[in-house]
Amino acid sequence: MIAFENLEVRYGPTIALKGLSLSLEDGIVGLLGPNGSGKSTLLKTLLGLLKPASGSGEVLGIPLGTHEAARLRGRIGYMPEYDALIEDTSAYEQVAFWGELSGLTSEQARDRAHEVLYFVALDEARYRPVSGYSTGMRQRVKLAQALVHSPELVFLDEPTNGLDPDGRKRMLDLVLKVRAELGTSVIMASHLLEDVERVSDQLVILDKGEIKAAGSMAGLRKMLAKRFELRFLDPLSEAQEGKLTELGTVLEHRNGIYDVELVEADPVLPFRFAKEIGAVLVQLTPRHDRLDEVLIRALKGNIGATLGSH
Amino acid sequence: MPIYAPSLPPRPELTEGSHPITVLTRFDLKRVVKRKVGFFIFGFIFLIILLIEMIVLYGKYLINTSAGLSGLKDFANKIMTQGADYQAGLIDWWMLIPLWFMMAFMVGGIVSRDSLYRIRPLIYAHPVRPQDYITAKALAAFIIPMVVMLPFVVLPWGLSLAMAGKAGPIWMSAPLYLLPAALIIGLLMAAVTLGASAMASSPRASFGWVLGIVLGTSAIGAIFSGVLSNKQWMAMSPYFLVQAWPQLIFNVSEPLLKWVPALAGTAAHIALWTWIAVARTKPSEAVL
Repeated sequence: MIAFENLEVRYGPTIALKGLSLSLEDGIVGLLGPNGSGKSTLLKTLLGLLKPASGSGEVLGIPLGTHEAARLRGRIGYMPEYDALIEDTSAYEQVAFWGELSGLTSEQARDRAHEVLYFVALDEARYRPVSGYSTGMRQRVKLAQALVHSPELVFLDEPTNGLDPDGRKRMLDLVLKVRAELGTSVIMASHLLEDVERVSDQLVILDKGEIKAAGSMAGLRKMLAKRFELRFLDPLSEAQEGKLTELGTVLEHRNGIYDVELVEADPVLPFRFAKEIGAVLVQLTPRHDRLDEVLIRALKGNIGATLGSH
Repeated sequence: MPIYAPSLPPRPELTEGSHPITVLTRFDLKRVVKRKVGFFIFGFIFLIILLIEMIVLYGKYLINTSAGLSGLKDFANKIMTQGADYQAGLIDWWMLIPLWFMMAFMVGGIVSRDSLYRIRPLIYAHPVRPQDYITAKALAAFIIPMVVMLPFVVLPWGLSLAMAGKAGPIWMSAPLYLLPAALIIGLLMAAVTLGASAMASSPRASFGWVLGIVLGTSAIGAIFSGVLSNKQWMAMSPYFLVQAWPQLIFNVSEPLLKWVPALAGTAAHIALWTWIAVARTKPSEAVL
């Protein structure tokens, strides 16, 4: 679906994306990173709105940085982060307008506007000016305009921004529905980890214009399954502690509890290890890491290798 | 109760749609027409002006043809313009001033409304190139004054033709002069409005910008004309330029401006404001 190598994007002297290399498969990709990490810049580059300073890549088989970018944009839907709504028109009028702008005929765009507004559950309100819409409704209009021409790929930039828990759930359900029912691939940029965790099957973590980690959510979960908390009957000697590295990576040690990422997701390993070093293991607790911890670790730079190839 | 499909029907073909310029122009024209208050007020003003024009035309016809009114002929000829001046007067300041106001009020938001609602980057996220965007805006800004001016060209001419044929108060060939004049006026007005709108952050600000440009350049032109004792400096102002063009094309005896200053002023304004509009509507990103 998307592949790029050594992609570098600059805003004048500032390097916004620093030599990124990545390959993404069809599905829902979560693009995670703190504010200013380069998520929106990456989306704009993939849309052909920004010309890479160096590197190469392709989206849906169309090379980046060529004059075919306009054609590419007809095959992609984009839901921006900011409030890009034509306030003095109804949802129906503007969704039809965006449909026509994407290449549909007037008649097709009108039909499609009705259909897509029904799809995002705005059919009752579609003739009202969007200036009177709630935040959730406004987000759904933005999603509708991104879907009106049935793109093969849709970029959602912070789709749950400003939504209450119910609105967030609805929006994420819609994202899942877009993939499940329409077969459209989704790239969802967000800084809300729970959202990404809920819908994505691939994950890319960006920070300061660099990919800190990338891989499948299944790979991530597999990696998370390697984390255990270990407690021994007696405190370990320095020599015994030194041997812990053979078992895996010690992420944290406090109050006699070792937070260890095992070399393999096999809970028998700590018992064997304890036997080898002559210690008694009294606690073995799987650590169900939250994604936010993963993100923090990724941003500290000690996860990229373990999460998966990119 | 309608029965909806459980999901979206299959994707339609994307290749049959209109060109983005057509889509954007149509959308902008719809937005202008939807401004009902402005549409009503300016529609009423132009209707009254057109009506007065028709009454004057009919009066001229009666004075020239009715034996009972022959006594008024000399007096009427003194107070009413004749010949080329009368023809050029069909598009004159009394309709061009409301037209400037209409451009400022109704068309001023053509670009600034996109800036206010922040939809330009989203437009560029569609298969639209910057040149498509600016061409569509310029086209919409040009069509609107043309639609207003056309009845002033066609209706009096048609009435004159219907009343008196070739011998009517309006020349048979008048539209051949008036249409090019209207075309230049439309281009100039569209360029000024487009540039002003591109500089403004909201339609309200655009209103100020359009009037500011028209009145500001007129004031500067007047100062230069006064100081240098040469009224050709008035060509700095689009307000005087639009008035000068029908006179120049009809070759009236004492036009407001001469050909060279009018050409230079018009070309400079069109180039300057178009350049500003292009520069100000470039996507902040470098669109390929």
